[in-house]
Amino acid sequence: MEPNSLPATERPGESAAGLWRTFLASTLVLAASLGLLFAATEGGSAFTTETLRRSAVMRSPQPIPDLQVIDASGVSASLLERRAADPRVWIVDFVYTQCASVCLSLGTVYQRLQAEITERGLQDRVGLVSVSFDPARDDVPALQAYASRWGMKPQVWQVLTLARPGDRRRLLDAFGIMVIPAPLGEFEHNAALHVVDAAGRLVRIVDHDDPGRALAIATALTR
Amino acid sequence: MNPWPIRSRSLAAGMVLAALACALSLPPARMLIEQSMLWHMVVQMPMLVVAGSLLMQSVPAARLPDRLARWNAYGLTGFIAAQGIIVYWMLPLAIDRAVVLPATDVLKIVSLLACGALLARAFARSAVVVQLFFLGYTVSMLGSAGLYLLSTTRRLCNAYSLESQFSAGLSMLILASALTIAWAGFTLRRRESVRDPEPARMREAGPRPRTN
Repeated sequence: MEPNSLPATERPGESAAGLWRTFLASTLVLAASLGLLFAATEGGSAFTTETLRRSAVMRSPQPIPDLQVIDASGVSASLLERRAADPRVWIVDFVYTQCASVCLSLGTVYQRLQAEITERGLQDRVGLVSVSFDPARDDVPALQAYASRWGMKPQVWQVLTLARPGDRRRLLDAFGIMVIPAPLGEFEHNAALHVVDAAGRLVRIVDHDDPGRALAIATALTR
Repeated sequence: MNPWPIRSRSLAAGMVLAALACALSLPPARMLIEQSMLWHMVVQMPMLVVAGSLLMQSVPAARLPDRLARWNAYGLTGFIAAQGIIVYWMLPLAIDRAVVLPATDVLKIVSLLACGALLARAFARSAVVVQLFFLGYTVSMLGSAGLYLLSTTRRLCNAYSLESQFSAGLSMLILASALTIAWAGFTLRRRESVRDPEPARMREAGPRPRTN
């Protein structure tokens, strides 16, 4: 940095005309910055990727991808076939069965949801689906172990894994899940509850610590 | 004392720093910014700004086009543009995108280098009070963002864990204080060195003799 040793008249921009120019340029730059920030945050309403994704889904429901999946009993079918064969609204979450962190709380949330669905007799209207994004490790025995660990009732709660590990990217992109490998074979991922209607559209994404809202949205869709 | 002129030193330091910061976006060092919010926000991003500023300082002011400088009296336009760039890259959604999309990462590198270059010119042309205004704004923004990251239990970036967010918040607070201290020290030193020696000599010589 050099000191301002030049007299003001020799420093560019500091004449009266230059000050007007600078005023104009500053105003334009300020307007452009604010416009950019306004656009990037959807008018100041979304500062995180997660809120952006949720408001996008709420505005326009997105079709779920048609991927080949396997359930805990080893039955392989496409996701849309399973969707068409099931008239219920689904609440979908994404897990990996080795998970020792956030999916533990997701598991507890789903256990509570399962209890509430059974209690209120909603099992014909709302189904729970856990999808593994770790097809390399989550095979049928791993799914079975997961199902028995959480006491899944197959008529309420099912767990699926991808039949083709190569489909993982498509699955995650379609639901807007970001998975980051973490030490000790763990993954860091955003946990949420995804409400999928009977037509196979992702209609709402709800915080994983707000299962009551997910259930209310799901039951409202079946009315 | 130093065989190198100050401009070549700025150029060399700026190039080394820019290269190191860019290396953080490439494998294998990319792992650091992918897994640690601290490395991304408190190491790589400030490194890019400092590198841009050093590179700009290596260009003599006389070589810069007057036509552009005329739109930037007292560095005001530069300060505002730099502030816009800094605010954008503090948005969690922008940070996530830079981790996931390579094109956004390139945009981040280019814009933060430019931010540093703009700031170098702006600081060189502006009065202390304008600098203080800009610095005060940036430091309070950085500080409150740091405090928020420290105190919230909500994961703001899909790309980073809560622990990573916590350590990034803490180091953002430290960075904010360090910036303030560094600026104050630098400004005081510069004031010393540019002070007109004339009054000092006169003070030593005692009271001015009357002229009439």
